Amino acid sequence: MARYLTTRIFFTLFTFWVIVTLVFFLMRLAPGGPFDGDRRLPPDVEANLLAAYNLDKPIVEQYVDYLVMISHGDLGPSFKQKDFSVNELVRAGLPVSLTVGGLALIIALSSGIALGVRAGLDTGSRIDTVVMGSANLGLAVPSIVLAPVLLLLFGVWLGWLPAGGVGSPAHYVLPSIALALPFTAAIARLTRGSVAETRLEPHVMTAIAKGLPRSRIVLRHILPIALLPVLTYLGPAAAALLTGSVVIEQVFDLPGIGRYFVQAALNRDYTLVMGVVVVYAAFILLFNLFVDLSYKRLDPRIELR
Amino acid sequence: MPVRFKCWFVCLVCLGAGNAGIASAQALHLGNTGEPQTLDPHRYNLRLEETILTDLFLGLTTFNARGEIVPGAALSWSTSEDGLLWTFKLRQGLKWSDGKPLTADDFVYSFRRLLDPATAASLAYFLYPIRNAEAVNAGRLPLDQLGVKAQGLATLLLELEAPYPHLAERLLYPTGYPVPRHVIAAVGDDWVKPEHWVSNGAYVLADWRPQAQVELVANPHFFTAPLIKQVFYHPLANEQNAYNRYRTGEMHAISTFPAGELESVRDHLAAHLRLSPLLSIVYLVFNTTQPPFDDARTRKALALAVDAEVLTDKVQRAGNYASKSFVPALVANYDSAPLQHYVVENKLNKVALTQERQQQARALLAAAGYDAGNPLRLTLRYVSGADAKRSNLAIAAFWKRIGVETQLHHSELKVHFSDLRQGDFQVAQAGWFGENNAEHYLGLLVSDTGDVNYGRYRNDEFDELMAHARTHGDVTQRNHVLRQAEELVMATYPVVPLYSVGIRRLVSPAISGWHENARDIHPARFLSWQ
Repeated sequence: MARYLTTRIFFTLFTFWVIVTLVFFLMRLAPGGPFDGDRRLPPDVEANLLAAYNLDKPIVEQYVDYLVMISHGDLGPSFKQKDFSVNELVRAGLPVSLTVGGLALIIALSSGIALGVRAGLDTGSRIDTVVMGSANLGLAVPSIVLAPVLLLLFGVWLGWLPAGGVGSPAHYVLPSIALALPFTAAIARLTRGSVAETRLEPHVMTAIAKGLPRSRIVLRHILPIALLPVLTYLGPAAAALLTGSVVIEQVFDLPGIGRYFVQAALNRDYTLVMGVVVVYAAFILLFNLFVDLSYKRLDPRIELR
Repeated sequence: MPVRFKCWFVCLVCLGAGNAGIASAQALHLGNTGEPQTLDPHRYNLRLEETILTDLFLGLTTFNARGEIVPGAALSWSTSEDGLLWTFKLRQGLKWSDGKPLTADDFVYSFRRLLDPATAASLAYFLYPIRNAEAVNAGRLPLDQLGVKAQGLATLLLELEAPYPHLAERLLYPTGYPVPRHVIAAVGDDWVKPEHWVSNGAYVLADWRPQAQVELVANPHFFTAPLIKQVFYHPLANEQNAYNRYRTGEMHAISTFPAGELESVRDHLAAHLRLSPLLSIVYLVFNTTQPPFDDARTRKALALAVDAEVLTDKVQRAGNYASKSFVPALVANYDSAPLQHYVVENKLNKVALTQERQQQARALLAAAGYDAGNPLRLTLRYVSGADAKRSNLAIAAFWKRIGVETQLHHSELKVHFSDLRQGDFQVAQAGWFGENNAEHYLGLLVSDTGDVNYGRYRNDEFDELMAHARTHGDVTQRNHVLRQAEELVMATYPVVPLYSVGIRRLVSPAISGWHENARDIHPARFLSWQ
């Protein structure tokens, strides 16, 4: 177990370094720099700016400086958001992104598993057909289509919910639902298949023959095994929820880090792009590590090596 | 379980219904076109920052509600006979928002800070008319050599390099604002944080949540108290979002909405709609270092075929204003020189006129060596976007009528302007916004302007006229020479003016004191609730 953990942590750190390096150089390869606005910059002024942000140094030196900086937990000054450091921006934006992502994950897990179990226990029934039909639809419609429709319907026409921004819990309802729906559908499908299969296993048959109540059979004998595929899916799903929030934050004007990411990339705000990538990468890698470690808890037969 | 989920969903929806906010009657919620990158007036770079900074600070001169230049921190000013020395008399009893007195010394400090190379101000050149400003900014002279001096507490002297009659206009911009030396000395770059904020405008910064909102509250030490005490600026970069949030009542005014909604707004929100032309010119620029665009005949042929009115009124339908001249017609005290072909041919009817121009264009192309067997092929570059694509397809269609084959090439804003600065294009769309004087626009075509003379245009006679104009301290004389220069340069078609941008705003009828103006500037201190 200890050896497994050490190797996994080593590979996680290695992957992290590869991501940081790739993005650092890809960003510099993109044409246009942070100060190529459409207004005139005399050469002296441009030189002052480049010097102020160390952009006049050779790229390798900039790269080494950057690695040293982030190893101290400092993501640097933002090139474009001049009044904030990247750390301050991430501190302001991350809670918003995590709230939307976390709520969406809760919605997707609770409703997806509930629907999946219901359908999986009665395969072929009318409920099953309806659940699977809607799940397929949910998978087919991407957030970028769904989110504006929800916003127009509940925000603008019915006026039940705010049409964007933050300020009250109500501001989070539409974004979380819009973000959750495709994942709800995927989780419902996975759970249904897995429940339908587990339901026919000998130990479940035994439990039924013993006359145990239905709720106990589902919760104690079916779910722990049926949920393994859902758990596997959680790693990539968490990643997709984070990246999916980039779209949702744009549509709903949410001040999360996904929104910074898009604007920073367009502005060539090198440090802010890097900062968001570092945070995203850290979250995704940690989540995957966590998922791998929790297999053992759900199914003791799994050996971690 | 499914039932429980349904209840939970309903609860959330109810929760939302309670809170979904019509903004409180007291505070004013304004949609801005995006997130400010800084609120340090010496480091600013964007119009959307200018909007907020105008509420937070007061320069020597300022805007009134109609966007006209009026006394600000200076109550009056005078110019020496040679136009080289400007004397500004400050208002009595000026104070910072923390109650400390504001003196001429604060302006001296602020002008030096702007031009200090360490500030790295990208718009430092705005104050290059001041003596030694350029050398100080380049680090060639010490800060105290800058031509700015305080005479007592309430008099400020500005010495200029050369006569510059538009100085009162230059001082309007945030680059001319005073910043609090005593706060900067204490907390350094953190002076822009809300907790340390001190300024001299009608409002002060109360809170700034990145990408969410900037909150301003009235400055108790400003010389006239604003009627609205609390103002929120929301960054609404997406036009559709801005429109949605205006319709739900969350915003009281927004700076733009999707062009496609213009007809619907005219029908349903007519009382909210505010259309006005902005001081700006969008134009096509030719790379005059490359054949065949080094040949004025080719450039003229392409210009003749473009119908700016069809472009704005039939294709875009976004409220833009077709332009016949490079200097926008809106520029005050100046009579812009329309392109030659607009002057000579305006007696024919529209259809005949278009055919006449096309014939002329084909003849010019033939003279330059192009015909049906050997058509002119060119690449037209523009900034990505659905609306931009439609406009540029229309331009390609105009050119197709005279036998020119156009390839369209779009790229995002940064790449587009970076390539234009490096001269990596044949024909491209560009735009210029801002000042209310002709040389701001004509200066783009002067050969030593640098890389924003995207087409690397060079015309010695024009350069001389421009230099000559700049020796006049009197606006009328100066504009007279500029007009000659414009006429001369436009006869060689280095650019094709297309249109001035039309601003499409929605403003709640509950707000009074809102006046459309060519700078699209609406300081909050002039607004009130009806």
